[in-house]
Amino acid sequence: MARYLLKRLLLAIVTLWILATIVFVIVNVLPGNVGRQVLGGFASEQSVKDFNHRIGTDKPLLVQYGRAMRNLFTLDFGKSYSSTARVTTILGKDLFRSMKLAVMALLITVPLGILAGRFAARRKDRLADRAIVMTGLATSSIPEFVTAALLSYLLCIKFHLFHVYADPPDGTSVIGQFRYLFLPAMAMVIVYFGYIARMTRAGVANSLESDYTRTATMKGLSNTRVMNRHIMRNALAPTITVIGVQVGYLFGGIVGVEKVFNYHGIGLEMLTAIKNHDIPVLQAAVLVIGIIYMLSTLVADLLIAYLNPRVLMEVKR
Amino acid sequence: MDFKVLDGARRNAGPLQVDLVEAYASGRLSRRNFVKRGTVLGLSVPFMSTIIAACGSDAKTTPTTAAATAGSTAGSTGATTATTAGAAGTPVKGGNLKIASQTPSGPLDPVAMADLGSYGIVAQSFEFLCALGDGDIAPGLALSWSPNTDGSVWTFKLRTGVKWQNSASGAFTADDVVATMERLVAAKNAGLNGVLAAGGCVAKDPSTVEFTLTAANGLFPYLVSVYNAQTVITPKAYATGTAFEASPDGTGPWKLTKYDKSTGATFVPNTDWWGGSVFLDQVDWVFSDDISTQVSGVVGGATDAIVQFAAVGGDALLNSSDFTVINSRTANHREIWMRCDKGQFTDKRVRQAFALCLDRDLMNQQLFKGTADIGNDHPIAPVYPYFDDSVPQRKKDIEGAKKLLAAAGVTSLKAVLNAPKLQEIPELAVLVQNAAKDIGWDLTLNIESTDTFYNEWCLTYDPICDGGQEFGIVDYGHRATPDVYLNAAYATGTWNSAHYKSDDFNAAFKEYQAALDVDGHKAACKKLETIANEDVPYAIPYFYPSLAAVSKKFTGVRVSALGQMFVDTAGKVS
Repeated sequence: MARYLLKRLLLAIVTLWILATIVFVIVNVLPGNVGRQVLGGFASEQSVKDFNHRIGTDKPLLVQYGRAMRNLFTLDFGKSYSSTARVTTILGKDLFRSMKLAVMALLITVPLGILAGRFAARRKDRLADRAIVMTGLATSSIPEFVTAALLSYLLCIKFHLFHVYADPPDGTSVIGQFRYLFLPAMAMVIVYFGYIARMTRAGVANSLESDYTRTATMKGLSNTRVMNRHIMRNALAPTITVIGVQVGYLFGGIVGVEKVFNYHGIGLEMLTAIKNHDIPVLQAAVLVIGIIYMLSTLVADLLIAYLNPRVLMEVKR
Repeated sequence: MDFKVLDGARRNAGPLQVDLVEAYASGRLSRRNFVKRGTVLGLSVPFMSTIIAACGSDAKTTPTTAAATAGSTAGSTGATTATTAGAAGTPVKGGNLKIASQTPSGPLDPVAMADLGSYGIVAQSFEFLCALGDGDIAPGLALSWSPNTDGSVWTFKLRTGVKWQNSASGAFTADDVVATMERLVAAKNAGLNGVLAAGGCVAKDPSTVEFTLTAANGLFPYLVSVYNAQTVITPKAYATGTAFEASPDGTGPWKLTKYDKSTGATFVPNTDWWGGSVFLDQVDWVFSDDISTQVSGVVGGATDAIVQFAAVGGDALLNSSDFTVINSRTANHREIWMRCDKGQFTDKRVRQAFALCLDRDLMNQQLFKGTADIGNDHPIAPVYPYFDDSVPQRKKDIEGAKKLLAAAGVTSLKAVLNAPKLQEIPELAVLVQNAAKDIGWDLTLNIESTDTFYNEWCLTYDPICDGGQEFGIVDYGHRATPDVYLNAAYATGTWNSAHYKSDDFNAAFKEYQAALDVDGHKAACKKLETIANEDVPYAIPYFYPSLAAVSKKFTGVRVSALGQMFVDTAGKVS
């Protein structure tokens, strides 16, 4: 297990280095003068030069690259170009907000999706199965920002049942925050429920027809025990992989939902950073999301290895 | 007409002020414009009231100061609009107001800020020499101001007993004004550049400053008013580059207690404000980059007011009975440039033909739901007091356009119309493209991001910001006076995308600059309008308004034509 973990961590570090290099290349090789982009078209040439000198974008690319790598490994990204705050302070707040929303969406989606998938697999090709599969397909095919806009219009603006902005005021209780975040979380649940349900359904349906299930049943184990001890352990591997990938996506890829509900998470921060040419924030945000992706897939792989020890055996070989 | 009173007034006023009184007494100036101009020239409210009474006005209202504007109802006024909005009723003490606003684009450096999001936040705590009044500017940190005989030296008497919120800054004095002006001059502030030189502002005593201008300027108070957003007065030690959010201070009614660039800002009352106490307990500014998100927030009850929104996409506010929509007429406009020095548009008749193919009413309806003022291919908007409406309005005339093209020997024309992807401009470009088909022109659209359009074009093609193109659309925001449009776009060349050069225009512009009286400005403007309309270096189809909205649960919210929102007189309706 330790060897497996070490291998994954080394891979993660190499991936992060490649990611940081790609971000650096995109930011620095594309045409455009950073100082001019930040200060605008009407700033004097001298102001632009001073700005570039202050942030170091007038130095050779190799020097800048070295500094970017040092920033990556010390996790010190300096100050934002478009505010006086430190990048880590800005992203810390954004990450916390994104985390609250992503966790809430996952807490609803994962059990709901797994239960629905399991339910559908046990009724394969019957009406309930088809209803779940078709509903999942339909909701997955709608972009989350469309779902978010529809929910916002209907439940916030038309019927005033929820808050139109998801950011709760300071001092809001946990229950109060739940009410603020429920609708944006639902916008994501509606989209991702289908993926998880279908993935679980396929896994469970396969397991139900396997030899080990038949053997367990023949041994006289109860249906519940067969389902929990044998079928689900084997059937959940692909579902866990999907969830692992989605965790990263939910943190960084929900810009549309954040925009509709004016919820300033890390996705919206990245969008603003692109607009304002706030390179330190952009670089750090991309890396943070990269780290989250890696961590979530790592946790998913470890969970799969735990549920199915054959994975570790393959690593040993 | 009470000539005795008028004679007395003449004796007690300076030459510029006497000219203004004469213009009003002889009927050449409306009461509203008399009050506007009188405020700019530093006439006191009692003085103006006396003149109005002496002239036998049937006015039901008298000139007001900023402090007296609370509770008046929404309406639309002039270029220097100060509009108070909200439901009728008396404001009560207490309550929070939430305002939806554009996210400030960068650190809140009062000298360098350049966007409405920053202007609105900074102006809650920092104040101007000339504040937002009811219809025009009004005393702010300056109690009064007056020019010398030719308008080249202006003396401002400052308010005394004013404290800075940060006790380390001490009391507000003339030294703070001088230091602020020096910083603005060094930074080449767009309004003051060429008007005030380094050392031009001096403290005569702790409560008096004197501005010696590089040339006479009868409209100088506007340049140190709310309409030149960077001229907020900051403490002497507030060096350029200091960000407001990092070093909160000010003399104004609100103290910044929380600032998060991502989400918003919170202000609480400044109990030491010279203007007394405010009604509200707290004001929260909620930031968003997306106008539709801001509109949804107001309609859905997340916020109570929105600083600015567009007519297209703003139906929920425009059609709602729960909100007061503040429609401030402004000089905001778009200029469709046609290069006059080379290329396909050098013949004036070709440019005139293009201007004749535009359906301005259709543009107004489709882009602004009829809320804009129709343009007449010159930059002097109807909202300016010196706008002359005697220049015939150009209207769609396809036959006339075809005749002009035939006379110019142009049978067909292919061109690329360049434009930034900004607000309604891409839609305007499509309307222009369609309109030009009627006169046989084949236009291709090239819509660029604002970054490319402004940053790269302006950088590469400095000093003319035209990207080397002969045909395109460029945007101009509101100004308290049209000087920038006349100077930069038509006369001097830095923003002269059309490469227009006219000795007649330049002479008329000089006349306009030198004019210190109402008649002089009007006469010069008529010439400028006529020449610009005839030569058409730029087609200017409309001047669009600034739209803001406030819930009817609140009253006394004031908005400037620039789009800044002031809530010192705002409160919940009883």
